[in-house]
Order: sequence, then structure tokens, then C-alpha cells
Amino acid sequence: MEAHHPFDLRGKVIVVTGASSGIGRQCAISCSRVGAKVILIARNEVRLGETLSLMDHSHHRILPMDLTEAAETEEKLAALKDLGGIHGVIHSAGISTTLPLRNISEDKLSNFFKTNVNASINLTRLLTRPGYAAKEGASVVFITSVMGVVGEAGKTLYSLTKGALVAGAKSLALELAPKKVRVNCVSPGVVVTPMSSSAVYSQDEASLEKIRSYHPLGLGEPEDVANACVFLLSDASRWITGTNLMVDGGYTAR
Amino acid sequence: MKDKFIESFKEALEIDRPITMSDKFRDYDEWNSLGRLSLIANLDDQFDVTIEDEVFQKLITVEDLFNEVAKRAAAKN
Repeated sequence: MEAHHPFDLRGKVIVVTGASSGIGRQCAISCSRVGAKVILIARNEVRLGETLSLMDHSHHRILPMDLTEAAETEEKLAALKDLGGIHGVIHSAGISTTLPLRNISEDKLSNFFKTNVNASINLTRLLTRPGYAAKEGASVVFITSVMGVVGEAGKTLYSLTKGALVAGAKSLALELAPKKVRVNCVSPGVVVTPMSSSAVYSQDEASLEKIRSYHPLGLGEPEDVANACVFLLSDASRWITGTNLMVDGGYTAR
Repeated sequence: MKDKFIESFKEALEIDRPITMSDKFRDYDEWNSLGRLSLIANLDDQFDVTIEDEVFQKLITVEDLFNEVAKRAAAKN
């Protein structure tokens, strides 16, 4: 038997949310390439199936659910109990918008927190219960954003929720360390995905050029984010917890 | 519908004075990228209307914009 490589995920069960598209989809694919058994979560079963068809190996499993429905999530995740333990979670499900302050209603604020924050905490709580997280330890990765650290006009809702996760991850890291559960964030800059292509800054060439100029290494690809996540899930990062890894082509370097 | 539209339009651009339908809205001091985003959000929230960028570029006056919104809102009913 060959020696275990610290960067590979063979023998690990990894839950990936938002696995139906963009960064989440690539995370599922990348985890499969390095040997993980992946549990794919998102609302849309058909698109989860599409992700599955792009993955290596056939031992993965799709688990369609709406993570904003706490009770439904708890019920569906029960299928993961006593699987032998979950070794990692990449939580990529989330929403974004560009909306000026004048349009931020109480409803929009609640909806953003419900989707980007409440669902993340609920998921983490459920998956770190006894019988869920692997006894030898687990790694939780929140996909956050450069907008959780720096700002931009119109990004208040997104910044509020991503910043909440960046802050929350530190306390979670301390609280869960005795269970050998690590909690980290990966904060991407603008990555070419369905979410960013539908964003207002992608609607005209001038805005897109401005966004590009903020990234000294150019816009990112989903693989760039997925590779950082694989590292944080692997044993290679076993001494890393409570951090926020900027994967942003240099966006926040200036 | 016209009154509702004008109110929504002024709210998006944060204009606190009377406006005229023949005004070229890009000439307003208040017209900027955030105002435009706010307008897009208001049209979507209040009229369930989305206007593609290439169509929007051809709208010059407040009246042009109103007519486009009215046409699209009517098509939904």
C-alpha cells in the first residue's frame, strides 16, 4: 500500500452544499478527483445529477434539500448519521446581490441572513452532532467572499452576511476544537460562475473591466477556490483553524 | 400606474422635486450607477419588470422608460 499523502482525501466523506453550480459544483468535482466520497447538497436534483456526472468514481450521493428550511434540513441530514463519520463540509450555498442602501428593506435583510447565515450555522450545528462528524475529527469550510472583509458600494447585504460568517468561524473554531473539528473560511474574489455572470457588474463591458482591474491576477476560476478548499479539508491543514484564506487574485493585497 | 411609476423612479434616484416626462433622465445630477441599480431593483420589486441592457440604452426620456415599463407590465397580465 502506498504511503498516505497529506493532500489527498481518500477515505474521507465530504459534504458539499451549493453543489448544483459554480464554486460548489467544482468543489464536488475536485474532491472526487482526490478520492473523497462526496455528499452533494442543493435544491435542484437535476442539476445535482449533472454535477455527479462530471465526478470521478461512483460512490457519491446526492441529497436534494432546501437548506433555508431548518426542519427539512434536519430531517434529510438524518440520512448521514452513522455513515462512519463526516470528515469535511464545504458550505458553498449562498446568494449575492448588488443593492443600494435605499432598497434594503427589512424583508431583504432577513432573507439574506436566513440564506447566508442562519442556514450555515444550522448546517454546522447539525453536522457536528455526535454520530455525524467523524470521531477522528472534521474540517468545515465556509465559502465567504472578499466582501466579508472589504467593501464596495451596493454590496452591504452581501458583506453583512459574509462578514458574519468570517467572524462566526473564529468562535466556532474555538468551540469545536475539543471535538477536533476545524472551521475555516475561503474568501474568493470575483470568480467566473453563473452567480457572477448574472451580477450587474457583468452586464456591460466597462463595469466588467473595472472589476477585472481589481484582480491583479485576473478573475478567478472555480478550480482556484476548490483547490484551496481541498487543502483545508485535507490532513495537510490539520493545524489550521479559525482562519480566513483569501483566494482573490490579489484583490485584498492593496 | 403613471403616478406609481414616477414615485418609484424618483425614489430610486433620490429625487425630491417635481420632474417632467420629457426629461432626459441621464442628465439628472442624481443619475449614477447606484441610482441605476436602485431603479432596476424597484422595477423588479414593484412592477415585476426587467429591461435588458441593450433595450435600456435606447431609452432616453422618463416617458420612454415609463412606456417600456407599462408595455412589459401589460404583457404580464
